Amino acid sequence: MAPSAIAAAGTGSEAASTDYGDALALRERRFAAALLAPAFLALLATTTFPLMFLIWTSAFRMDLAMPFTNGFVGFENYRVLLSDERFWSSLLVSLVYTGSTVALQVVIGLALALLVMDMKRGQGWFRLIAILPVVLSPAVVGMIWRTFMLAPEFGIVDFLSINAGLGSQNWLGDPVLAMVSVIAIHTWQWTPFAFMVLLASLASLPEDIYEAARLDRASAWQRFRRITLPLLRPAIVMVVIMRTMVALTAFAAIFTVTAGGPGTATEILNLYAYRKSFTELSIGYGAALAVALLIVTIIISGILFALRRAK
Amino acid sequence: MSARRLRSTAVLGISLAFLLAWAFPIIWSVLNSLKTGSDVLAYPPKLVFSPTLDAYRDVLFGSGSILPNLISSMIISVGTTIVTMLMAIPAAYALARLRFRGKKFAGFYVLATQMLPPVGIIIPYFLVLRNIGWIDTYQGIILIYLSFSLPFAIWLLVSYFEDIPFEMEEAAYLDGASRLRTLWRIIIPQVRGGVAVTIVFVFLNAWNEFLFAVVLSGNTVRPVTVAMFNFVSVEQTLWAKLAAVSVLAMLPVVVLGVVAQKHIVKGLTVGAVKGGGRR
Repeated sequence: MAPSAIAAAGTGSEAASTDYGDALALRERRFAAALLAPAFLALLATTTFPLMFLIWTSAFRMDLAMPFTNGFVGFENYRVLLSDERFWSSLLVSLVYTGSTVALQVVIGLALALLVMDMKRGQGWFRLIAILPVVLSPAVVGMIWRTFMLAPEFGIVDFLSINAGLGSQNWLGDPVLAMVSVIAIHTWQWTPFAFMVLLASLASLPEDIYEAARLDRASAWQRFRRITLPLLRPAIVMVVIMRTMVALTAFAAIFTVTAGGPGTATEILNLYAYRKSFTELSIGYGAALAVALLIVTIIISGILFALRRAK
Repeated sequence: MSARRLRSTAVLGISLAFLLAWAFPIIWSVLNSLKTGSDVLAYPPKLVFSPTLDAYRDVLFGSGSILPNLISSMIISVGTTIVTMLMAIPAAYALARLRFRGKKFAGFYVLATQMLPPVGIIIPYFLVLRNIGWIDTYQGIILIYLSFSLPFAIWLLVSYFEDIPFEMEEAAYLDGASRLRTLWRIIIPQVRGGVAVTIVFVFLNAWNEFLFAVVLSGNTVRPVTVAMFNFVSVEQTLWAKLAAVSVLAMLPVVVLGVVAQKHIVKGLTVGAVKGGGRR
């Protein structure tokens, strides 16, 4: 303790590093440890421990339907995974689903925020209505859309489609339409989130820059391109990061609408891992798929965070 | 001038169309829940009809009542909220206010735990809970809900703790108050608002959770988000009842969302990595 005290005194940065100060610091550390302990024990037990156990499980063949074949298989599950066509197709579905829903949310959310920002009356209505989809359970949203909106010859979307002369469509039974539908549902639920965040950031932009731009006779498009967009960039990137993480692990929003079908048309990687584990009961292989999803998540978030730092 | 008016009319039209698109599925569910079994099937869909509460009476008090499931949801959500807050408030205070080694790492760890996909948590947890007989129990579900509610609550609370001035604590210490007493009497009253907002969000996320609930629920503990699928899986879908159940499942979170309206954006963006809970 003494050398460190001298070192601290030598730099002169810490006036309180006397014995008394050290005793206080020690008490503060102990207090902090006591306050943190319950939450961190719970987090270790509910996140870190499952992660370890998940990786361990992925090295086993663990088939609840055929327990006599169970046993340690090392990297076998991963070798199977790499040549599993359903894995690659679910990864592709994941990327399409995530990419399109996030892009749609940001574009529509930003456009709407720009429209609403200049509104003198009625902004309150937009803020109020925008809350509604966001607070709902994706399971309830999926259920409502699957039935009251999309059911053939019953749902409103089908009703509109018939009246528009497009005829009744099997919205969730056709592979392409099913994919479009689940993308539309996710976009419907979460665009209000992008809208609210971007509206709040737009409101906080400095007014005088726009004044100067107007004096310079910059067009509306130039003002948007040269001022608004660069200033909004941090908020947009944040929305993209947050929504990407959620879309990658979306479950209820697809499970309740198509359950991954028809066939595997809307089966994102997350859903494939679930189906493998809890429907087909191949838990070991399901665990390997979950690890693959974690790796994909880490890679994508790594790219996005690099993007955030880059200029 | 008329070009300008045309533009503002177009802007208004587009905005209203979006407003309607967001509100409609919810309004439509409410309307359908107030119809009779035959009105709900009418084609073209009826916008005007004589409303009835029959569907609600059926789903709440008829056979196959949804009431036990609503109670299940309530117990799970309230339980999760209480346990989460008891752990998150002290942890958030320590992260926001105290000096200790490894503080940065601790904060990073809380954020990083949110990267783990839920399906990666539920596979091992299912195996463990099956072994100790905790499938279909409240403690099993509440414990696993901590995996997403705790990191979120801690980060949201840290942002509120950071807003209070240091002087308040220092004055209390100088008066000889203990640290715990200071935390309880001086600090927590200062962040009452933040605690209330956090409670709203934790409750909301617990109420809305689906994946963990599907895997871990059974005949004793089955929240309403899972149970409502009984109304579609039978031979014919009972549309009016299904609408009534959806509305009942939406009601608590919509009320909370509207009440906490001003704080929603902050709550949704906290942590800047994920936040907003698990969807």
